Amino acid sequence: MFDGLIAFGHSIGSFLTPQSLFYVFASSLVGLIIGALPGLTATMGLALMTTLTLKMPSSQALLVLVCTYVGAIYGGSRSAILLNIPGTPASAASCLDGYALARQGHAGRAMGIATSGSVLGTLIGMFFLALFTPLLGDLALKFGAYEFFWLTVFGVVISGTLTGDDPMKGWMAGFLGLFVATIGQEAIYAYERFNFGNRDLAGGIALVPALVGAFGFAELLVVMKERQVPVKINPFDSVIPRVRDVLRYWKTILRSGCIGTFIGIVPGVGEDVAAWTSYAAAKRASKEPETFGKGSIDGLMAAETGDNACVPGAVIPVLTLAVPGSAPAAVLMAAMLIHGVQPGPMIMIQSPQFVYDVVAMMLFATLGILFYGLTLTKLMIRVLQVPQTVIVPVILVLCTIGAFAIAGRLFDVWVMLAFGIIGFILRQLNYPMAPLVLGIVLGDLMEKNLRRGLVLSDGDLGPFLTRPISLVLWLAIVLIIALKFDAVRNLFSRARAAVLGR
Amino acid sequence: MSAASKVSPRADFLSALAWIAFGLSVVAGAWRMDRMESQGATLYTAPGLVPGMLGAMMLFLGMLLAVRAMRAGGHRQFGASWALSPQARFAAPRVALTLGLGLAYAAGMVGHGGIPFWLATFTFVFVFLMVFDWPQRRAKGEGGKGILLALIYGGGTAFVVSYLFEYVFLVRLP
Repeated sequence: MFDGLIAFGHSIGSFLTPQSLFYVFASSLVGLIIGALPGLTATMGLALMTTLTLKMPSSQALLVLVCTYVGAIYGGSRSAILLNIPGTPASAASCLDGYALARQGHAGRAMGIATSGSVLGTLIGMFFLALFTPLLGDLALKFGAYEFFWLTVFGVVISGTLTGDDPMKGWMAGFLGLFVATIGQEAIYAYERFNFGNRDLAGGIALVPALVGAFGFAELLVVMKERQVPVKINPFDSVIPRVRDVLRYWKTILRSGCIGTFIGIVPGVGEDVAAWTSYAAAKRASKEPETFGKGSIDGLMAAETGDNACVPGAVIPVLTLAVPGSAPAAVLMAAMLIHGVQPGPMIMIQSPQFVYDVVAMMLFATLGILFYGLTLTKLMIRVLQVPQTVIVPVILVLCTIGAFAIAGRLFDVWVMLAFGIIGFILRQLNYPMAPLVLGIVLGDLMEKNLRRGLVLSDGDLGPFLTRPISLVLWLAIVLIIALKFDAVRNLFSRARAAVLGR
Repeated sequence: MSAASKVSPRADFLSALAWIAFGLSVVAGAWRMDRMESQGATLYTAPGLVPGMLGAMMLFLGMLLAVRAMRAGGHRQFGASWALSPQARFAAPRVALTLGLGLAYAAGMVGHGGIPFWLATFTFVFVFLMVFDWPQRRAKGEGGKGILLALIYGGGTAFVVSYLFEYVFLVRLP
């Protein structure tokens, strides 16, 4: 307990330098702007910022990325409240009550609620990050090849199930991502797969160019497809958060913080599901559910607390299992690997201080969004008024550099373009992107552990099915898939009715 | 399988056919891979095992999607009108132009080399703004201002991005 606090104190001290504080405020601002601009997501922002931070020391680079991540998730609330357009998918739930409040002349109060919810949500998530990471790290040490195989499959399946409105398409996107990860030389015999004689492709598809394409270039095409509505800002009151709102809705804040963190821990699900789940839970618990969607402070507080609590939550499985809890966390994990940090079960043994460094980064990111939440209203309104036609070419330039700079290969620019086009087509056909990303990230882990497990058991599937953690995981996978089929659901309903005698 | 798809059954049916073709190609590609038996590989360590399984899953799910789309009548809608909706008529040329300009910049000017990065960036941003922003400005009688702004944005982006990446972030540019 005290060791953890001392380590946390050391981490805070290490970031209390003018340079680090400059990075905190600069990257929180960048994140906020990216999050506020409709069409630009936290995942894209992180992918682009990974390039900018390539030459920085790892702790500074990751500080920048964490602040960008937290800032972007918070920033989405600005356009949700002011324009009724979610800046990021995570802020979609905030549109319902945030914009309704803005139309009633309370946009400032709504932004204050978003600020207090986001700050407290991040702090709750941060508390659980510090608490759960060592505990989950101990559990992760019990994971062998069999468990890791099922965990990766579980991540892709649950992400496919929860992140879109069509689970089958989510699973297909996830399996496509897993397949993409198999392109290039495999790990045991260095056999080149699906490279068609191309030497660059033999090295595999690099994660960051693929993400920049799927989340950057594809998003720009989606933005250009939509007709831009003229920006009309409602008049607003003070943006200073009210203590009364926080005290009155403390139960909502605590509940949404816990829900957001838990959803963050579930692999590949992410902030948008956290926001909607927190919103639904708040509506169920409310004495005035009829006010939800009509300017409910309770609803806005729940959505904003839930999505920001998800950010530290999504980092917990990154650190302990090397399995990202959301799409932006997948980029953060890739950045950790680029900077020589090896997340996974051994992290609490090999570099426990790093875990507390990440907790401290979350704290500084929280300070960043609090600062801008109180001060930056007018600038944000100006940013929201910049025409898309000006933003899009600049972002496309950044996407090109972002793809190239990781390895200095023009091939990666082609990868970015290809994934941009594929991502755009998949989006138009209603395939979610999060499972695709998770698949690309987890593909290598899945394959290595499946083949390792099969070699260890000499082809016996028994350990895959009977070891306790494996058993829980594969049963959960089967249940999640089965419950998405009407026939199975009807069977369950009939069985329940028979048991209950109805 | 329950689903609240925003996509037409015809589009789902076509995409299902694409998934089936893709899944089949992956399975075939995996099957034809060297099993590395000369190096002592077993079935479990063969390079094609995992891609083959994934290809089979995509094939299976593609077939399920095809069945679902057929139940919704997707395969019978080929005779229906292929005319674009007003929104699609607005969106299609914009997406095509953005894609074209993006490819010309990233794959052509930058990817093919030969042009300095700053010049490629300036040209791209300038042309992009002239294509998408200038017509509206001209309609408002601000054509000259539109050209000037496109020049300023193009030059500014080229300078700021090149300088920041090369000298501040120490990132090598294409």
